[in-house]
Amino acid sequence: MSESIAKYPHPGRTRAIKNFLRQFLGYGGAQLGLICLVFFLVMAALPNILVGPLQTAINATGDFLAPPSGDHLLGTDEVGRDVLNLVVHGARISLTIALLATLISLIVGTTVGMTAGYYGGRLDVWLMRLTDFFFVMPSFVLALVITPVVVEVIGRGQEILGFRPSLFVILVVIGMTSWAFVARIVRSQTLSLKERTFIDRARVVGSSNLSIMARHILPNLVPQIAANGALVVAGAIYVETSLSFLGLGDPLQPSWGTLLSLAQRAGAASAGAWWYLGAPGVCVLTVSLSFVLIGNALDDTFNPRRRVIP
Amino acid sequence: MPDTADILRLESLQVHFPIQGGLFDRVLGRPAGAVRAVDGINLNIGRGEIVALVGESGSGKTTVGRLITKLAQPTGGKMLFEGRDMTSVQGLSALRPYRHRVQMIFQDAYQALNPRHTVFDIVAEPLRSLRLVDNATQLADRVSEALASAGLNPPGDFFARFPHELSGGQRQRVVIAGALAVKPQLIVADEPVSMLDVSIRAQILQVLVELRKKHNMALLFITHDLPVAWLIADRIAVLYLGKLVEIGSADEITFNPRHPYTVALRNATPQIGANAGRAELPALQGEVPSAARVPKGCRFHPRCPVALDRCRQEEPPAIEVGPKHLAACWLADERPCST
Amino acid sequence: MTNPSQDKTPLLEVDELAVDYGLKGVSSRAIDCVSFALRAGEAVGLVGESGSGKTTTAMAIAGLLSPNARVSSGEVRYRGNRLPIDDDAAMRPHRWSETSVVFQGAMNALNPVHRILKQIAEPCMLKLRMSRSEATARARELLELVGIPADRGAAYPHELSGGMRQRVMIAMALACRPSIVIGDEPTTALDVITQAQILKLLGELRSQLNLALILITHDLSVVAEACDRVMIMYSGRIVEDGTVAEIFAQPKHPYTRLLIESIPNPASGKKMIRPIPGDPPNLVNRPSGCAFHPRCPSAMAVCATEVPSLDKFGQGHVACHLHRFSQKDRVAAHA
Repeated sequence: MSESIAKYPHPGRTRAIKNFLRQFLGYGGAQLGLICLVFFLVMAALPNILVGPLQTAINATGDFLAPPSGDHLLGTDEVGRDVLNLVVHGARISLTIALLATLISLIVGTTVGMTAGYYGGRLDVWLMRLTDFFFVMPSFVLALVITPVVVEVIGRGQEILGFRPSLFVILVVIGMTSWAFVARIVRSQTLSLKERTFIDRARVVGSSNLSIMARHILPNLVPQIAANGALVVAGAIYVETSLSFLGLGDPLQPSWGTLLSLAQRAGAASAGAWWYLGAPGVCVLTVSLSFVLIGNALDDTFNPRRRVIP
Repeated sequence: MPDTADILRLESLQVHFPIQGGLFDRVLGRPAGAVRAVDGINLNIGRGEIVALVGESGSGKTTVGRLITKLAQPTGGKMLFEGRDMTSVQGLSALRPYRHRVQMIFQDAYQALNPRHTVFDIVAEPLRSLRLVDNATQLADRVSEALASAGLNPPGDFFARFPHELSGGQRQRVVIAGALAVKPQLIVADEPVSMLDVSIRAQILQVLVELRKKHNMALLFITHDLPVAWLIADRIAVLYLGKLVEIGSADEITFNPRHPYTVALRNATPQIGANAGRAELPALQGEVPSAARVPKGCRFHPRCPVALDRCRQEEPPAIEVGPKHLAACWLADERPCST
Repeated sequence: MTNPSQDKTPLLEVDELAVDYGLKGVSSRAIDCVSFALRAGEAVGLVGESGSGKTTTAMAIAGLLSPNARVSSGEVRYRGNRLPIDDDAAMRPHRWSETSVVFQGAMNALNPVHRILKQIAEPCMLKLRMSRSEATARARELLELVGIPADRGAAYPHELSGGMRQRVMIAMALACRPSIVIGDEPTTALDVITQAQILKLLGELRSQLNLALILITHDLSVVAEACDRVMIMYSGRIVEDGTVAEIFAQPKHPYTRLLIESIPNPASGKKMIRPIPGDPPNLVNRPSGCAFHPRCPSAMAVCATEVPSLDKFGQGHVACHLHRFSQKDRVAAHA
């Protein structure tokens, strides 16, 4: 008997997950968001299969600033590159940066917020002042200052973890400036969880602080972290786009922001090349919207009563 | 049986929370007050004894439970467990042997169980964190045993369930099983039946009584309900505003209360078929004052129907009014209250 | 004691009432075949555990059923006239002016940002069309009536103790001079001494204003002290009703008897615990036949298949097969 008990199954957990999925997918927003997201993830995963290798000025095939046609579904840019090709390759860079930045932001934010909320006292005060500092710090300014320094130190040709230096800096800067939002939410949730009796019980049965945080508080934070994480991704995409638009991106690894910046500089707006500006613009909008939709649906699923108060 | 030795002794145990005075008070040099949540409690619990701590909300009864289970630190007095001074022992590893011997049952079982853990994980948690088992088989055996002792049969059926899939009574049994898993010598039960349906209450009380019989486990039963205390306990201690006003055997306190507060408490308790002989003392007026403003003298005097001048000035000591029956009232030995 | 054969119609009659709750497309019966009558000035206790339908019954009478509830049969009559309890708009003029409710959680039922005097005056202005000054005067009068000095009316709810807040709730319930007040566990969250004060107040108000009182509680001993009559509910049905004296001295339904025996009673001198096995059923897994049969020590084969009807027995009623079969030979009834 004991043998079978030791590795007892988890029918309850599977049922809970099934229930969650059924509820989550019941929201129209979640369906729409997921469909868009899958579409863009496929784009990001298989750019070479879908549209061939990234085009450059050297292997460009089209006319200059040609409008959409059978050959170039989304037209061409000022050096004759296919915009569809650029946008599909841009998806990989944009999404990777946004997701990795979000990961950094969630890890830092959760750690800081949970530690501050759980231990309280002076540690809480100092961690929250630090959070406030990062909260008000503008990403643009930070990125503008740091990027040239890092690029100078490492050199333009080097790569960090497969990213060209300027992209890596953007990634880190977004991560470092968006965690404060997560930390605030996690802290307030931790404060209320800490008052729950099951935390008292965990202490009485001899659990360590670390184990209480890992086994009792963190699992109960997952809904908040997931819902807000989706919103952080949306924000990260915007910030990445803005920073790249300002010229901090890397022309050799173009993201959607870089494309927008190039289009702007090429005078796409005045030349009437709406496809050149529009394609990456619509992508940014769609992806961040789908993350917001998913985030809201997650929030509603985990926390249906929140809907009562708008 | 070494039943003569007390397992737990509280000596003038107190918790005073300082009140942070406003800026004004500090500038004017006004003394900062204190909330006297627990204000000098002397109580001992024998091996295998069930003591009920009875009090209203604001009496400090929950704080006493938290002190004993080391969820709160006293600001004065002493707490001895099996003769060892536990007053200032803190820290996970230093407390591990104590946690092995003293466990707690909570009022709201739903709140006391992590909604994301299975029953198995909940009951296994103390065994894992106190390192009382060597392998998975042993763990599963101990968990089964604890669930069975708490009346959850067959235990295997409950392993994979989540708290929300259980009834109220079953949830409280899981909390009890979690406390039992480590085979403690003392369990602090903080209002364990007050949230349960009437027909379930008796089940849980029966589980607790049987545990004492089987394992000679001592129990501090915190409650606001005098009849429940009478039913389950050997002795009853009555707490008012952070201090014990009366302590004695369950029958003595129920049928021969000597402190006017105990009398008032008994008279206010609704009972079936006991309408006669109630009008001994007029019903109490008002409510328990705040622990931040404990009245001078006897802390019960502003509400006491028989208060004297002396009660307003001097705090009465606990006087022996019968065998093992103490009451902190200037009138306790003069005015025997018959039932 | 009230005489059942009085010629005037009762104040309130509940006739074969059944209420369903719709939950995610599944409908489940909360109460079934609930019938009773209430006379002016009478205090009736409605006792049951969670899921017994006691609150649903009370909310149906007060016309405060939640939107997912549906009255599937039966009716409620007030002074002989049928109340439109399932029609929100039609019920509006009746609500609060004939039957009002004292809720359990006074802190949740009071608005934290308004002074209590204003909150008591509000129903007077809305329901009785009083002017602001009239309503304020009435509110002060009501505060005094429930034992709060009228000057305390300027306080906010959080400044009052639990007992005082419950008094404010009572004042609000009395605002429109109802003839029936329903107390939904009005003292459950209170300490025993405060509970005794509130019960005393309710008793005084009852005789002073000739109020009929329906006291919903899970605590039989509260009913024993505060009511004339008691109705025991189990799993959506009334299983026994009768006078307090009769029911506590000679409970007829096994559930009532076990319930009384499971309450510690120092007056009985018996330090004995006899728990009722099992859990009270919830709405969706109600047992067949008599809902109590899986927990009943004297269950027979018929109990699992047939729902016992609530039949007259002595001064009250009981719904138990045991008594239907032993009607002629009552000696065996309590064996």
